[in-house]
Amino acid sequence: MLARLSRFRPALARFRTNPAFGARFVSQSAPSGAAGSATVSDLQPSRATESHGHAEVSAFEKNRDYHGFSQDPVVDEWNMRMAFFFGISMAIVVGGTFIHYLPDHGMRQWARREAERLITQREAAGLLLMEENYYDPSKIVLPGAGEE
Amino acid sequence: MLKILIPTLMLFPTIWLSPAKWLWTTSIAQSLVIALASLSWLKWSSETGWSSSNLYLATDPLSTPLLVLTCWLLPLMILASQNHLSPEPLNRQRTYISLLVSLQMFLILAFGATEIIMFYIMFEATLLPTLIIITRWGNQTERLNAGTYFLFYTLAGSLPLLVALLLMQNDSGTLSMFTLQYTQPLYLLTWGDKLWWAACLLAFLVKMPLYGVHLWLPKAHVEAPIAGSMILAAVLLKLGGYGMMRMMVMLDPLTKELAYPFIVLAMWGIIMTGSICLRQTDLKSLIAYSSVGHMGLVAGGILIQTPWGFTGAIILMIAHGLASSALFCLANTSYERTHSRTMLLARGMQMILPLMTTWWFMASLANLALPPLPNLMGELMIITSMFNWSYWTLILTGLGTLITASYSLYLFLMTQRGPLPSHIIALEPTHTREHLLIILHLIPIVLLILKPELMWGWCF
Repeated sequence: MLARLSRFRPALARFRTNPAFGARFVSQSAPSGAAGSATVSDLQPSRATESHGHAEVSAFEKNRDYHGFSQDPVVDEWNMRMAFFFGISMAIVVGGTFIHYLPDHGMRQWARREAERLITQREAAGLLLMEENYYDPSKIVLPGAGEE
Repeated sequence: MLKILIPTLMLFPTIWLSPAKWLWTTSIAQSLVIALASLSWLKWSSETGWSSSNLYLATDPLSTPLLVLTCWLLPLMILASQNHLSPEPLNRQRTYISLLVSLQMFLILAFGATEIIMFYIMFEATLLPTLIIITRWGNQTERLNAGTYFLFYTLAGSLPLLVALLLMQNDSGTLSMFTLQYTQPLYLLTWGDKLWWAACLLAFLVKMPLYGVHLWLPKAHVEAPIAGSMILAAVLLKLGGYGMMRMMVMLDPLTKELAYPFIVLAMWGIIMTGSICLRQTDLKSLIAYSSVGHMGLVAGGILIQTPWGFTGAIILMIAHGLASSALFCLANTSYERTHSRTMLLARGMQMILPLMTTWWFMASLANLALPPLPNLMGELMIITSMFNWSYWTLILTGLGTLITASYSLYLFLMTQRGPLPSHIIALEPTHTREHLLIILHLIPIVLLILKPELMWGWCF
């Protein structure tokens, strides 16, 4: 069975275009309706040699420590440092510490403690835990029935 | 509020006056400093709702998590766009980042608005930079169609909203969110009133999107460049959820009857979009449809108006924003290497990019709502509160959870496992920038496990 696969070898040879990084796998045929939406229609044909990080020569060839930010090695290095420092060291570490030490968010823990304190206080005084009326009915002054 | 707005405004001089080679460095540094400063909004030490120093812009526990998410997302968008914009001329790069910053401005003003007309204006204003990003920088010819769908679906939904808001302003004299929560419940009896109710919510339902009016979303998400997809999935969809939660305050007694068709559509949408995801061949389209499903769950949680429903909705919005944006970034790393979104053409990536597989794995787990990630907590709160509202929803939400897990697993297995096609054995290694981008998405999701009360909103 494996021998039958050998008939694909000449066809597969077409795919071994560029052994270095970055062969472009863009369909060279006219885009058909079905496949058109998933392939790139060449918007910038003049920049085919250096588009999308898939240059004919990979950025790693020129700069062994390419971080993905810029072709200029100094800018690439500094951009990486800025992004990591402000992103991780400042925003996540310092920001995370700030958030961790925020006081009781929305007073939720206070509310729980206050509720428990009131419950023990009212139980000790022998009162009900909660009155049926929010306001004391004797303090509400209503207008008389026949007036006005 | 101003300590965030003014640095964001000053990003415009940074972008236009920076020397060419330091453009991206300064933009990312400044936007990360803004993101750090935005964390100060999370301080909520009183038990009253709003925190503000003026009448026009305020934060409350509903808008704060969304504001922080918006501010966090700008540096991530800049990181994600840096590579695909590098062949463009300098001024076009500056224009692109300016569009992202202007989107940020409008979003901060939208989430911070205390008056509903201001929120409406900012809600509409966010359409313009997004439209420009999709139609100018999208990669395929379908981007024009996508922009049209995106613009006109949202506009068609929001024009009735404008009429409804002006009617309300006429009747009650104010649309300030500070006072609206204390108005008497409206006795809405006539058919006109019911249309008014629908008009108030339709724009946000289209934006979320609700299943019946969701067609713009797969197009817009797929055709947008990576920053467009990120901001759409992470924040712009949540504008819909946020708007609904604000409007619910004044729509109250009617909602009990009128919300039924929308809840049904939302639940059905979870099943349908989940099933569509299982049949997708296009990677970004799969992630886009999964967003529709998750937002359907959020819409259901909001429409039943219970405290757990609202809380679950906010948690799921934040968690989904980060997870979905992470998935789009991962899809973009694959796209930049193979120039194809077809999953079949970019399989078996684990063999050549194993650390990226770890991030794919974590993002897929977040998407399928693995405990203890906040995605699960939000989904669980919505599912239980919907069960309390009606037992029958459990069938739909349970089935939806099952299908969500299936397509998230399918997504991971299709892209990472399996045989490596012979034409992509020599792809560029993963850049440090790409690793940083994904972990800046995933670390906040994990950290939110430790302090979820930041996202619980004011109901819990």
